[in-house]
Amino acid sequence: MITDLLIEKLRGIVGKSHVLAGRAGTELYSYDASLAWGQPGIVVFPADTPAAAAIVSAASQAGVACVPRGFGTNLSGGTVLPEGIIICLSRFNRILGIYPKSRHAVVQPGVTNLELQTALAPLNFFYAPDPASQKVSTLGGNIGENSGGPRCLKYGVTTNHVLGLEMILPDGEIIRTGGAALDPPGYDLRGAIIGSEGTLGIVTEITVRILPAHAAIVTMLAIYDDIGAAARSVSAIIGAGIVPTTLEMMDAPIIQAVEDSYACGYPRDAAAVLIIEVEGPAAGLEHQAQNIRELCMQNNCREINAAKNDAERNRLWEGRRGAFGAVARLAPSYLVNDCSVSRTKLPEALARVTEISERYEIPHGNVFHAGDGNLHPLLLFDSRDAEQMKRVKKAGWEIMEACVQLGGTISGEHGIGVEKLAAMHMIFSREDLDFQQGLKDAFDPCNLLNPGKVIPAPGPDDRKKAELSKTGGHGAAVTALIQTIQSAGIEKQVLLPVGNGSRREFGNLSSEMPFPLGSSGLDDIIEYDPSNQVVTIGSGLSLEKLQDELQVHNQWLPLRPPFATLAHSLGGLAATAACGPERMVYGSVRDLMLGLRFINGRGQLITAGGRVVKNVAGYDITRLMVGSAGTLGMITEMTLKVATLPERCCALTAQGSLDTLAGAAARIIESNLWPACIVAVPVEPQEADYWEISIGFEGIGKSVESQVEQANRLLQEKSMQSIGVQDYDPINGRFNEQYQVLDGFDFLLRANVPIDQLVDLFVAGQPSLPLHYPFLDLGNGRALLGLEKFANADWLNFADLSAERAGHAFLEKAPVEFKKENDVFGRPRPEWGIMHRLKNVLDPGHIFDPGGLPGKA
Amino acid sequence: MDIATYYDDISQCNKCGFCQVACPIFRSTGHESGVARGRLALLRAIIEGRLEWGADIEEPLFDCLLCGACTANCFPAIPTADLVLKARSEYLEKVGRKSIHRLLFDHLLPYPRRLHWAARAVALGKNSGLSDVAQALGLLRIFGRNLPKANEIVERFPHRAFRDTNKPGVYAGRGRSLRVGYFVGCGVDVITQDAGNATLQLLNKIAKEVHILDNCCCGLPAWSYGDMEAAQRLAEKNLSALASREVDVIVTDCSSCASFLKKYANLFPPGHRLHDNAVFVAGRVRDMVALLFDNQPHTAVRKDPLTVTYHDPCHAARGQGIVREPREILKSLPGINYKELPEADWCCGGAGSYAVAHHELSRKVLDRKMDNLKTTGADILVTSCPACVIQLSFGVRRHGLNTQVRHISQLIS
Ligand SMILES: Cc1cc2nc3c(=O)[nH]c(=O)nc-3n(C[C@H](O)[C@H](O)[C@H](O)COP(=O)(O)OP(=O)(O)OC[C@H]3O[C@@H](n4cnc5c(N)ncnc54)[C@H](O)[C@@H]3O)c2cc1C
Ligand code: SF4
Ligand code: SF4
Repeated sequence: MITDLLIEKLRGIVGKSHVLAGRAGTELYSYDASLAWGQPGIVVFPADTPAAAAIVSAASQAGVACVPRGFGTNLSGGTVLPEGIIICLSRFNRILGIYPKSRHAVVQPGVTNLELQTALAPLNFFYAPDPASQKVSTLGGNIGENSGGPRCLKYGVTTNHVLGLEMILPDGEIIRTGGAALDPPGYDLRGAIIGSEGTLGIVTEITVRILPAHAAIVTMLAIYDDIGAAARSVSAIIGAGIVPTTLEMMDAPIIQAVEDSYACGYPRDAAAVLIIEVEGPAAGLEHQAQNIRELCMQNNCREINAAKNDAERNRLWEGRRGAFGAVARLAPSYLVNDCSVSRTKLPEALARVTEISERYEIPHGNVFHAGDGNLHPLLLFDSRDAEQMKRVKKAGWEIMEACVQLGGTISGEHGIGVEKLAAMHMIFSREDLDFQQGLKDAFDPCNLLNPGKVIPAPGPDDRKKAELSKTGGHGAAVTALIQTIQSAGIEKQVLLPVGNGSRREFGNLSSEMPFPLGSSGLDDIIEYDPSNQVVTIGSGLSLEKLQDELQVHNQWLPLRPPFATLAHSLGGLAATAACGPERMVYGSVRDLMLGLRFINGRGQLITAGGRVVKNVAGYDITRLMVGSAGTLGMITEMTLKVATLPERCCALTAQGSLDTLAGAAARIIESNLWPACIVAVPVEPQEADYWEISIGFEGIGKSVESQVEQANRLLQEKSMQSIGVQDYDPINGRFNEQYQVLDGFDFLLRANVPIDQLVDLFVAGQPSLPLHYPFLDLGNGRALLGLEKFANADWLNFADLSAERAGHAFLEKAPVEFKKENDVFGRPRPEWGIMHRLKNVLDPGHIFDPGGLPGKA
Repeated sequence: MDIATYYDDISQCNKCGFCQVACPIFRSTGHESGVARGRLALLRAIIEGRLEWGADIEEPLFDCLLCGACTANCFPAIPTADLVLKARSEYLEKVGRKSIHRLLFDHLLPYPRRLHWAARAVALGKNSGLSDVAQALGLLRIFGRNLPKANEIVERFPHRAFRDTNKPGVYAGRGRSLRVGYFVGCGVDVITQDAGNATLQLLNKIAKEVHILDNCCCGLPAWSYGDMEAAQRLAEKNLSALASREVDVIVTDCSSCASFLKKYANLFPPGHRLHDNAVFVAGRVRDMVALLFDNQPHTAVRKDPLTVTYHDPCHAARGQGIVREPREILKSLPGINYKELPEADWCCGGAGSYAVAHHELSRKVLDRKMDNLKTTGADILVTSCPACVIQLSFGVRRHGLNTQVRHISQLIS
């Protein structure tokens, strides 16, 4: 209960004027942009992390619930907390630093998305997620909901662009996870936090990736007389392997409402319009735009026109961003549905929406991220009319059911909050929900942070999922694994999932002899939808087999993990989150994974994520499992995003001293080029300071060609001469030879630091790196070093040097003797505590070998 | 009419939050109480019976700058400023007017001489018995919140009022035909007399006759405070001074006054005995900026070029739609390098007349303005409203900038 004492305490922490307790004050925080309502007890406005942490501690001691709030524009009731404390982060409003050289920025959570974009624009950089609410939604709120936006079709959503977080746990402890250095050891905590709707921790500082602005942009408006034709055009474009930056759709009611408020140049008599944008180097862009035009025209487009200048372009976007607000002209209230289906199912989904809206006599309009299959039917009504309100809720519910039946999910980007709580049953079984609850329990055992959100309490609806989805079944191999795991539970036998067994040495030694759990029976392709660019596979499938199958459709999984031969199982790759230098453009495993299934320590088959490209329903267990190295469960099935094979892969090479090469790499990283990789290796290992740099470009032929040319010019600016331009194989990439050399060493050291610190770390580390072979991934700030020997002290010294540069070091491989005395993850870090708590809660029987977890168990 | 009459308008707010981006108060405080969505939510709560008229809504109602920026960003275009005004009016009825308001609106503003006298007496701090008067004047933004400390805001409090040297009457100018009536705003009269003198000089060049009008306060402060009756009384007094058919146009160099004079017809709805008169007067009012735009006098070429930027007073940009004119004037001046001010149309926190109850709040709004100003590196910051000139000059001094703040008339003459 909120007592006067607590109020006094909070006033003491933030000052009297930053605590609101009165009737009017709390009325102002009783809503967000959804229909939910509930009056909080107090609202506090801390200005820094210690104050926020003190508030959380005080609340936790008093047993009072609290919730972090940005600008309250979420659409799911996520910041409505009756009787609790609202911790408003609007005073955390500073951009702390922008670092183009290492492509990252550090911001406070109360900075709005647009403020960051505005600060980046003059530097020719941008932050990819761009929710339509960008001018009034905070980055903290974006993290809370894992927000997407029009551009996310090409770049992915918030979780794909946040690198690190500082946050306050529900008991007041402050931890950091991730940062400018990629892939911190251990569980992907930031993945779990992003989209957790303020229920796991309060984010107080954010490190994001920033990307160089593209040289050219074409924005087109395609006009249709039939909404089905517009939806078919979307499928046609994606099916043709083109990924525009945006593919947004609006239908007639929305077009008219927008035009009534603001003349954006949408034709009032159209049944639908698409806003299609492509960007990239000028070369090849017009060709791509032309392809899109043709595909649209083939699908009964009335006409398609490109914006002639920035003003026209902005006008088109202004209308799209304001569309939710504009419907206020049609009715005082709206309920926005946020279902997501595979893009090929869009025409069907839209037809179902129309049918439902007509049946309930609730008018609707559609404005949505068509390229992602993320629908936003807006149901229009007057919230003052209770009877209408009932009908609206029913219609909304049926739309969700319809989309789930079509293989989709209930929320693509707005979150569950309280509004979609009951609908969680449509897509998750009780076991799935319990596993998610475990995550919550590990973070917040007393259930004090934004309680009552995201996960519905157990009840009769728990059986709902089985009724709706047809994908519940599994094969004999999975049944056998379940049995093995269950009996291991009884016999207290520790298990180690090993994929096809090729990379068993990952992580620390554990005390017991784990029993290896193979995935050999799980090597089938379960479902492959080439026109939707999504594939679901068994975890035992080898990368090679998958690539073979995908190539038939001119597609591939854009992943070239070092050391992993093509024979490697995909489950193993996911568990170790392996990825190569090409992640600069393709992202890493976590970015490609849409959903997965795994067997937990209780022997239950758990589903996480889904099969659609946008999905924020529930906690992001998918990201948590990627890189969890078999410590939480045995992955059996995964759904992955695939891509069109690049037309051309081509590397520019040059030689020189490491310093010169680093200078060249820096110049390219700051430019508006989009290399796939920048790697330096010594020409003659152990010789004088003479290196070779490879700068790879992949994609459409014309664009690759022009980028290679431009990169060459930048090298010349740095008075370097390229020594060659070489094409390479898209599946195998360019570095297999080097990986083989590295793999021959007993020790394999992997260090990550912010991109611009890599060479510095390498030079500083030289004395403690006896006879080694280096592979410097200059585009991602990662060093891979093969070593024959490594003294304990040298290892710790190197780990410390990495830590001093805001990075971390990790031994991918080390002899057993060495592991007996060392932690391959380096010195303990505070955030490992919560990782172990997670492991304990999610695998209470300690069935899975803990060696993959940092911090010797 | 009570606020419940506007339930439909208020219910149009779907809580999208888009108004947050432009509301100067919200951007400075991050408080929901300071943004249209919040103000409307409170009104809705009152209508729906969850909240009562009382002191705890005074701040959200009276902090509003009435700048209209929210409406410009609101797709359903909810006229929050108007609704807030209506609510203020009802608040005064239900919760009561304070005596200092009566003092200001009923006894000082109708009488320019009294206003000046009172202001000077308080500023000199001679008579401690004047604390009520000080407080009342403090409500006028032109003096700052706390008049006894007004030297912070008003650099040099002039000993004489503008009107002391420029009596009402008809003066011959050098222009060919135009007969101009000059409406002297309180700000010009009491404080920014340099601007007034510059305007007068320019009018002399442009017009054949300059009539210095015998007006009092335009009534905007009372109206913004929600005191319709006081506003009407002031307006009525002015209508008789302004109704002369001897002038072709009524000009004022205060954008706030100009925008309010143009709205006189709204104060006296059709059927009111003064309606026709109000329509007639309102139709002849022009902002000095607009007049200058049409009749730009020649100016001498400067030797060393100056960087100049421009702040849009709310009452010029949103109140009268004057945005392009001042920029074109400035760009056309020889020897001037014009640089656009980021967020130029953001309220400076001066809010024309009566406004920001919190000194701290108005400062935060001002600080943001100053940060933007710094990025331009301008030598001169130009604007067209005396209240803005006063507020911005205060900001420049507080931030130790070398930029000079000038009324547009001063820059041209
Ligand atoms: C007109 C309109 C258009 C929209 N368009 C889009 C769109 O295109 N794409 C999209 O994804 N969303 C969209 N949204 C939804 C909304 O804007 C996003 O969810 C946004 O990210 C919310 O930001 P906020 O600052 O308002 O957060 P809030 O609403 O204040 O909070 C959102 C959630 O995040 C949590 N949270 C806030 N701050 C923190 C923190 N520091 N640490 C931990 N948790 C925190 C809260 O507890 C809450 O659960 C739209 C909304 C509107 C009204
Ligand atoms: S922009 Fe308009 S509709 Fe949206 S919250 Fe503000 S006042 Fe309400
Ligand atoms: S009128 Fe101005 S101050 Fe008042 S709510 Fe609107 S934007 Fe904010």
